[in-house]
Amino acid sequence: MQPQLEELESLLLDWEAGELDPPGIDRVREILRGDAAARTLFVRMQMLSSALKLEAETRITAPTTRAEVAATTLPQRRAAHPAARPSLVALRFHQWIAVAAAFVICMLAGRLAYLEFAPVSVPPTEAARAASSPPAESSHEAMSHGVALVTRLVDIVWDQDQSHLEVGDALAAGRLAIDSGYVQIEFFCGATVILEGPAEFELFSAERARVISGRLRAHVPPAARGFTIDVDDMQVVDLGTEFGLAVSPAGTHVQVIDGEVELHQPAQQTRLLTAGQALLRGADGVYQAATQPHAPLVGITDLESRDQGQHTARYERWKAWSAQLRRDPRLVTYYGFDEADSWERRLTCGIDPPNGELDGAIVGAGRVTGRWSTKGALEFKRPGDRVRIQIPGEFQSLTFACWAKIDSLDRRFNSLFLTDNYNQGEPHWQILESGQLYFSVRPVERGTPGPHDRKVLSPPFWEPSMSGRWLHLATTFNVETKTVTHFLNGEILSQDRIPDEQMVFTTRIGTASIGNWSIPTQPEAQFAIRNLNGSIDEFALFSAALTADEIKAMYEHGQP
Amino acid sequence: MDASNRSEQFVQQLTEHQNRLYGYVYSLLGDHSRASDVVQETNLVLWRKIDEFQADKPFLPWAFAIARFQVLAHLRDHQRDRFLLDAELAETLSEEVQQQAIQLEAVRDALRPCMDALTAEHRDLIDRRYFRAMSVADVAADVNRNVSAVKVALLRIRRNLANCVQKNLAEES
Repeated sequence: MQPQLEELESLLLDWEAGELDPPGIDRVREILRGDAAARTLFVRMQMLSSALKLEAETRITAPTTRAEVAATTLPQRRAAHPAARPSLVALRFHQWIAVAAAFVICMLAGRLAYLEFAPVSVPPTEAARAASSPPAESSHEAMSHGVALVTRLVDIVWDQDQSHLEVGDALAAGRLAIDSGYVQIEFFCGATVILEGPAEFELFSAERARVISGRLRAHVPPAARGFTIDVDDMQVVDLGTEFGLAVSPAGTHVQVIDGEVELHQPAQQTRLLTAGQALLRGADGVYQAATQPHAPLVGITDLESRDQGQHTARYERWKAWSAQLRRDPRLVTYYGFDEADSWERRLTCGIDPPNGELDGAIVGAGRVTGRWSTKGALEFKRPGDRVRIQIPGEFQSLTFACWAKIDSLDRRFNSLFLTDNYNQGEPHWQILESGQLYFSVRPVERGTPGPHDRKVLSPPFWEPSMSGRWLHLATTFNVETKTVTHFLNGEILSQDRIPDEQMVFTTRIGTASIGNWSIPTQPEAQFAIRNLNGSIDEFALFSAALTADEIKAMYEHGQP
Repeated sequence: MDASNRSEQFVQQLTEHQNRLYGYVYSLLGDHSRASDVVQETNLVLWRKIDEFQADKPFLPWAFAIARFQVLAHLRDHQRDRFLLDAELAETLSEEVQQQAIQLEAVRDALRPCMDALTAEHRDLIDRRYFRAMSVADVAADVNRNVSAVKVALLRIRRNLANCVQKNLAEES
C-alpha cells in the first residue's frame, strides 16, 4: 500500500477518536485533493464506519458483566467522543416519524381548526437575529428559525430593553418594542405589518402575533389569508387584504381599509367587518360602533416614500462628507464608485486635486447598485473579476478602508486589496474563510532568508446572516506604535503589536488589485484563487494610521 | 394519488433509505452526532417538499440532492467548528459517496461474515471501540495495552474489514 494511503488511514483513525489537530485535518484535505485513490479509500473507510455504527445500533450489545457496566459509565461516554451516543440514528428517526404523523393528522384535520383552539402559548423570548443563536447541538435545531423579517426601519427609536435590529434581520418568536418611528415586518406567511411607535408587539409564529399597545397596519395578500392578530382575548383574523388597529388602555379600534376581517372573542358572536367599517372594543370587551375614525395609519407606499426620504438624506450627507474627505492630504487614493455609466471600465480616482494616473481599470466586475439606489458599486463574482491599480511611491503607516457587501466567503483567502508580487514592504489585506480580517506586510525581499511576515488576524467577525449587508471594514498599520488595528463598522475588532524583527517601516504598493489577486506566486496552489464574492462601494487608502475616532466618523457618515 | 396515500408512500421510502442517507451524510461530515442532526434536517426538508415527491420516480437521487445541500449548509453555518472536510472537498466527494451510500445495505451484509471471521481478540477490540463507543484510551486500559498498540491494532483490523467487505461485494456482483 502507498505510504500516503497508509497515512490517510491513520489520520482517519485519529479523527474518529477525536484526536486529530488542525494540521492533521489540513493534511487529510491535502491528500484527498491530490489523489483519486485516496478519495476512493476515504469513501470506503467512511462507509465502513457508517456500517459499523448502524450495526452497533441494531445489535443488542448489553454489557455482559458488572465490570463492563462500570467501564462505560455515563461521564466517560460523554467525555469520550460524539460517537458515544448509541442508538441515536434509530431513536431520532422514530421521534421524527412521530412528528411526521402529527403533521399528517393536522393536514387531514383541516387548516381552519386552529380557530377553535386557545392561542398557542409560546414562551416569550427576545427577538433574535436568526443566525446568532448558539451553534445548536440539540435535536431542536431544525425547528429554531425565525418567523418574520425586518424589511424597513424609518426614524426608529428602540425601547430601552429592545435589542437594536437592522433591515434584513430575522425575527424569532418574541417581543418587539419601539418608542417611536416605524418598523415594517414581513411575516413568513406573506403578511406585512407596519408598526407605529410607541408600540409593544409580540410575534408568535409566521402567521400570528399580538399587539400589547400601539398602532399597526396589516397588509394581507391572498396567500396569507388567515393571518391573525391577538388583542387581549380578541382575535382579529384577516380574510384579505388590509386593516388597521390602534390599541390603547381605553380599548381597541379596528378599521378595515380593504377586504374583510373577522373578530373572534370568547362568549361572543363572531363579527365580520368589511371595507370602510370600523369598530371600537372597550377595555371591558364590549363592541360599539366607532364614532370617529382614528388618525390615519401610514401605509406601505407612504412608508416607502418616507424611507426614500431618509435614504436620500443619508446619501446627500455622505456625498457632502465624501467631498471633504477627498481633500484629505493623507489620502493616497480614493474611489467613490460613483460613476453612473455602466460602460465606463475606468474606476475614477476621486482625490481632490484629481490625479488620473491613479484611476483603476475594471476587469470583469459588473456595476451594481451601491449603498443607496442612486449610487453605484462594483460586484466581484467570478474568479477573474478585479480592479487593477498602480500606485507609485513609498509610504510608512497605512490605513485601508472600504464599504463591502460580502455574499459569502468561498475561498480560503478572500481578497480586499492585494499587491501583485507581495514583495518587501508590500501589504496584503484580505478576509480568511473563517471570517477573520487578515493584514500582513512582507518584511524581506522575496526569496531571501529572514523573518516571516507577521499575519495579523482579527477575531472572526463574519457570519452568514451578514450576507448582503453593507459592512465598513478598515485596518490601520501604524509604524510609530508598531501596531495593526482591525475595525468593523467603526468599532475596533482587535489590535496587535508587531514584534520588532517582523516590523516593516517602509511600505509600497506598486501594481495591485482590489477584490482579487493578480499574480499568485504559486499558480497551482489551491489558495491561488482569491476573488471576493461580494461588492465594494467605497475604497480609501491613506498614508497614515487613522485614529479610531476618524474610522468611526467614516462609518457614521457612510452608513446606508 | 390522494394525500394520505401519498404521505404513506413517502414515509415508506424515507424509512427504507434512512440508513443510506445516514451513510452519505456521515461520510461527508465525519461525525456521528452532526450526521444525525443533518439527516434529521434533511428528513424535515424532504417532508416540507412532499409536493415534489413522485412515487413512480426514484426517491434516492432527490433525497441525496437535498442531503447534499443540507451538508453544505451545515458546513457553511458552522464555519468556526472543526470539520474533516471543507465545502469544496465535500462537493468533490459527493458523487462518489452517493455511489457507495446506495450500496450501504450491501456493505452491512458483507460486513457481518467479515466480523465473524475476526480473531476473538480483534473482535473484542472492535466491540469495545465501535459497539460500546469506548475511547481508545479506555479500550487500552481495559485490555492492558498501551494506546499506540491499540491504535495500530485497530488500524489493521479496519483495513482487514475494509478489504474483506470489498472482496465479498465483488463476489456478489
